[in-house]
Amino acid sequence: MSVPRARLLDLMRARCELFGTTFNPEGLRTGNKILRQRLKGPALASYYPRKLVTLRDFQREFEPLQLEVENEEEQDRLEHIAALKARGKGAPKKKREAGGGDKKKR
Amino acid sequence: MSMFRAKKLDLGCFTNVRILRDHSKRKAFEAAEPERQALRYIIRNTLLPARTRAIAQLQLTQMHCYTRPTQIRNRCILGGKGRGILRDFKMSRYNFRMQALEGNLPGVKKASW
Repeated sequence: MSVPRARLLDLMRARCELFGTTFNPEGLRTGNKILRQRLKGPALASYYPRKLVTLRDFQREFEPLQLEVENEEEQDRLEHIAALKARGKGAPKKKREAGGGDKKKR
Repeated sequence: MSMFRAKKLDLGCFTNVRILRDHSKRKAFEAAEPERQALRYIIRNTLLPARTRAIAQLQLTQMHCYTRPTQIRNRCILGGKGRGILRDFKMSRYNFRMQALEGNLPGVKKASW
């Protein structure tokens, strides 16, 4: 027993209404599958861990309370530079050009 | 490209220029994704006039390469390596081994039978 096409189409339309899909009996390419896709940008962009707080934030937070936060790495660096300078091995001072502006040579 | 790079470093993991580049690409893709999907829809829709679709094709190909998802590559967050990355741990296979042996990865255990 064969079912008439009109009846099948009615069934299809009812199905589309029920499940919220688009009624497209001819199977035309309407590009709907692109619209159905979810955006994956947020998931991709959160791959690398972001910087949350820095030592500078801590220092700023504790400043009103008259508390000082020590940055050990920075102190080590300054000590190292001071030791170099004392031995006369420090980096030279930046040269000041006669023109005044910092022209880049290409 | 420097115009996509964040003005201030916003990464908390190991950073080298390749990671920075990849991160900028990810953010550029995220920003341009709706536009790309709209163009892709216009291109795929056969009911629209051929001229509109051709223009959309041109626009999509002329978008900056940093907004393309194929430019994104998973890199190791501990060493920046681009090959041999375990997706679940975002680490290269050697760094994964080191972390797993140290016991820093919960639930990961060396197999033995």
